[in-house]
Amino acid sequence: MKNYNLKLKIFRFCIVIFTFAFCILNLGGVAAVSMDSSSFRIESASINDAAGNKTSDNYKLSDTLGQLAAGEFSSTGYIIKAGFQYLHSIIPFRFSISDISINFGTLMPNTPATGTTELTVYFGAAGEYQVTATELGKLRTLNEANNIPDTNCNGGADTCTDSQAKVWTSSTAYGFGYGMTGNDIPSDFINSTYYRYFADKNLSEAPQIVMSSPNVGKNRQATMTMKANISNVQAAGSYQTVINFVATPSY
Amino acid sequence: MKNYNLKLKIFRFCIVIFTFAFCILNLSEANAQQVSLAISPPLIQTVIKPGKAILIAYSLENSGDPTILTARVVSFEPKDNFGNIRLKDRAEGPVRFSLDNAELSLDQPFFLKTKASEQLLLRIRVPEGAPEGDYYYSLLAETTPAIGREGIGSAQAKATIAANILVTISHSGTIEIKPKIVLFQLLSKMKWKIFDSLTEVPLVLVLENQGKNLIRPEGKITLRGLLGTSADYEIVPKNILAESQRLVQATPSAEFSKQLISLALSGFFLGPYKLSANINFGENSPNIFASTSFFAFPFKLVAGIILVTIITVFIIKRFSADED
Repeated sequence: MKNYNLKLKIFRFCIVIFTFAFCILNLGGVAAVSMDSSSFRIESASINDAAGNKTSDNYKLSDTLGQLAAGEFSSTGYIIKAGFQYLHSIIPFRFSISDISINFGTLMPNTPATGTTELTVYFGAAGEYQVTATELGKLRTLNEANNIPDTNCNGGADTCTDSQAKVWTSSTAYGFGYGMTGNDIPSDFINSTYYRYFADKNLSEAPQIVMSSPNVGKNRQATMTMKANISNVQAAGSYQTVINFVATPSY
Repeated sequence: MKNYNLKLKIFRFCIVIFTFAFCILNLSEANAQQVSLAISPPLIQTVIKPGKAILIAYSLENSGDPTILTARVVSFEPKDNFGNIRLKDRAEGPVRFSLDNAELSLDQPFFLKTKASEQLLLRIRVPEGAPEGDYYYSLLAETTPAIGREGIGSAQAKATIAANILVTISHSGTIEIKPKIVLFQLLSKMKWKIFDSLTEVPLVLVLENQGKNLIRPEGKITLRGLLGTSADYEIVPKNILAESQRLVQATPSAEFSKQLISLALSGFFLGPYKLSANINFGENSPNIFASTSFFAFPFKLVAGIILVTIITVFIIKRFSADED
């Protein structure tokens, strides 16, 4: 009987301890802050007692009370606002390219050569973003005597442009172009067989968007596959070009 | 003793193999040269008098391989009404930019090693007599592309990251607010705004800024149904540049058939509904208003019930006939 009472006491003690721990943990959870929907997310931009996460089954809200480094301040003759009113204003806008030298190796006639690079955008603070790409001249030899023209893709009904991707699978369709797979890519890149050619800055062609999103996100990744295919009459040489990727946040 | 020597040999062989594999793996990782740049803050908005200057501290961080960067400022303009921009080749307008850093200046390359950051002190100066209006710029940090290897075909990537600067020049600090709702419309395949009760109701709201200064809408979209039921959807306050249009989003905004929309209403709707937008642009600004309506009926549900009823009646009759 004495043993039974002891067990009962230990059991009760455990219940009290677990209840206490549960309350403490729950309270800790409520103190934390962020605003999520299918299209955007707001996080706390400053840390203080009033800022915090508010969550329910349907939404998650973060807010701040006051701002520290970023925010609005005024003085005689000017007013400055930094960051976005509706978004975290201290997360930097980040852009990465996994490989800045895309090699095709030795180009062989009628044998398409490809190279890939991965583009990553982290835009917690920017809200919306775009990445454009443009070639600074054709893929050409160092002495600029010869170049590999921009691809027309398969041609005919599958003739692509710098803003409209089409299927490029034929080994007798020559040129230089790129395809996109992954997050936030233009909808005309239906699958990995769809290609465009780069807008050429030397021809004053407008840079084309290769990634963009109206919504907040982190680590948005897309893979660009560059492809070159030459004919038997292509002159020998080292063909090179520069692709300029420009990542800009919205306003 | 012989057994011991054999074990020692195997052990030594394993050490050599592991060391070789480690070196190979490490070398292959180091081969791909990557670039990773971050800039903060991504957006600056200022209202400034002619004759004044301000200083903005930008943080530029390199998380990739060591690189040579060049900072410069160019103008931009809105490309479409989704917030995308078109960069120009140079800075236009009366605003003058320079770096206050002792060792850095605009359009001059500088080196940034891995895991290092540089503070760019950008001075924005508006000369006396500069005309009032809005001027939009981007601070660019761009890498210098490497030279390709001889003997192979290659494309070298140049990375550019931007931060936007919105400058409003005003003598008095007064901002011109001339907004207009150009589109407040439900996307429907039918001529009449009739939706199935179980499908999403997509709404598009486009605002036009007819003024000379940028504006930022605030407010809400209200949905009213039968029996006075209503729901409010807050408008996301995004800038609309001078003399441009922008699709305004409300929470929860979404894409509809890969098309960006302002609001996707979901739930079970039944009967007539009225949608209204009430938008303002800060204190002492005019309110603008628009409304539309739609009707919802559970077509799919009713069709399903009718179909099930017909099939059930048919089966019952068939069984009854068989029993007879």
